[in-house]
Amino acid sequence: MMTNDTIDQDATDALAAVARLLRHAAVRAWTQAEAEGPRSSLHLLGLGIHIASCQVMAMLPADADLEGQPPTQNDVGQLLRSADELIRSISILDQTAGISPLVVAICDLVREATP
Amino acid sequence: MKRQDERSVGELLLDADFTTRQGLMDVTGQDAPAMLRTWGEVVQSASELWATLPKPVGGANSPIDGVTMARLESMSQAMHRNQVRRGWPGDGPSDERLLRVAETFTRAADLIGRRGGHIGPTDPAIRADLDAARMRIMHTLYVGAHSVGVAAQQHVADVELSTTPGMSDRESRAVPRGQEAINRLAAFEQLAGAYVGNQFARAAQGEHVHGPHGTERLQQALIGWDIQAHRTLAATPTPANLLLTSRTQAGIATAAAAILHAGARTGHVDTHAYEHRLAPTLDATQQAWTHVAKRWAEMTTPASRTDLDLVHAAGELRAAVREVAHDKTTWAHPEVMAGRVDLGEAAQHLQQALSTAVDLACVTRDIAAQDTNLTGPARAMSHRANADIDRAADSDRRDEDVVWVTSGDVYANRAVTIPEPVRAGLVDASDTLVQTAGNAMSAAACLDRVTQDRPPASGQEPAVPRSRRPEGPAPADEDITCVARP
Repeated sequence: MMTNDTIDQDATDALAAVARLLRHAAVRAWTQAEAEGPRSSLHLLGLGIHIASCQVMAMLPADADLEGQPPTQNDVGQLLRSADELIRSISILDQTAGISPLVVAICDLVREATP
Repeated sequence: MKRQDERSVGELLLDADFTTRQGLMDVTGQDAPAMLRTWGEVVQSASELWATLPKPVGGANSPIDGVTMARLESMSQAMHRNQVRRGWPGDGPSDERLLRVAETFTRAADLIGRRGGHIGPTDPAIRADLDAARMRIMHTLYVGAHSVGVAAQQHVADVELSTTPGMSDRESRAVPRGQEAINRLAAFEQLAGAYVGNQFARAAQGEHVHGPHGTERLQQALIGWDIQAHRTLAATPTPANLLLTSRTQAGIATAAAAILHAGARTGHVDTHAYEHRLAPTLDATQQAWTHVAKRWAEMTTPASRTDLDLVHAAGELRAAVREVAHDKTTWAHPEVMAGRVDLGEAAQHLQQALSTAVDLACVTRDIAAQDTNLTGPARAMSHRANADIDRAADSDRRDEDVVWVTSGDVYANRAVTIPEPVRAGLVDASDTLVQTAGNAMSAAACLDRVTQDRPPASGQEPAVPRSRRPEGPAPADEDITCVARP
């Protein structure tokens, strides 16, 4: 795992944006799941997105700014695709080594959310 | 205390191969010195493992096979001697991932040396498995050599591009030394690649693979999750950890309903019991966990961190459920699930998970009721306190117009201790949770094959734990006794 204290500002900003997108996507997925009922498979999709957002958070420095503006999209698939595009833009350096499994995880979530 | 490594030789080989592939995805020029320092160790441990594999009886394999490994080892030793003689890349840290690969090979060699020495590879299936093991080792070396080479190339390019005038001797030596390492690694890669050739897929077909056709992963994931959730909540009962715990428990209830539904449709679970007892109680417990999760979510901030061990346990559980129950974007068809695993066996594992869920519900209630360190963002806490007060029947209180959070805290949205009405609402929600989890446990008792087969109780208190008592469906208002938190 990377040491999150040495990550550069651009990568921090991009990861923070990914975290915001994922957090919003998880909330949206859970809202839809609740509307569908307790047996909706979206409950597990929401959980998967939340897990990915926790993993992104773990890569960020302790003082990263995560407040920001809430994403404008509401579609879970769209939010995930935005997160996917953003995380792919982060260069893999020593400080961001270990990000690849996260790229794969988000890619899997996009596939899971797209009929 | 270091956890005992319980992986089989096959799993160790897969892990080594997977680790080198993962390394290839992330490798950078900065990794090159550490990788070059560690590469020799990987090759040596691979060679030792190769030597411990049972030899083909009657020389069934080509003698060239063993020669390839011997040549690779001598190339690696020559490369190491050269590095020592020329003082590049010099002393420094090892590459963690390559070190892990070397340790994994050593562990596999140790396992074979202690337990597999007696194996005589006469059986075609065993021989095929051994061929696959050799191929797996060689493939790991092939991919590993490539990733070290990529790192060295990148490193040389980085140094060449660097125009820093005060470059140290060691840095300036990196270009010719690095170029030499690249050439040697290319030769190594070609030799290993020639062995792998186009035979990898054919050899891998003979590999003895344990699973995924079985419920072991699901069982392990459920147990692992339960242990980790207890550990995390005992050490750091933060709203973020409680949020993930509650959402994962809700996910378990959702998955249990889907898998037991498939079991009922395919004759592995009693249909009447599923429809009339299991499904309603599972739905209720799922909704109770979801409700509690939303309460915890209100107490988190965007900056809240979740325990990574808990995150990994939840991730593994989700992956195990998906392996059994998912098909692309939704639940798999019951017949598909039944084709993947023994749904009767899966039902038993879920029954145990539903039993242990009661204890986690009790832990959640204890934290909600007793943990004085619980905090939340001022705005959300103020909003929640007022909403709960408005909903409460106590009209006297409503007229008191109590300020639960100061305006200064709300303005700055500081973390504040949760107001009394918020705690009361949380305790109410977790009381409901304990009740519904208890009902689900009782309803799921019918899934327990052990207790089903047991003769009727003779009036004595059963010796089995409460969670496994064959008590059948309990009345809805049964009082659940919580066990102490770990």
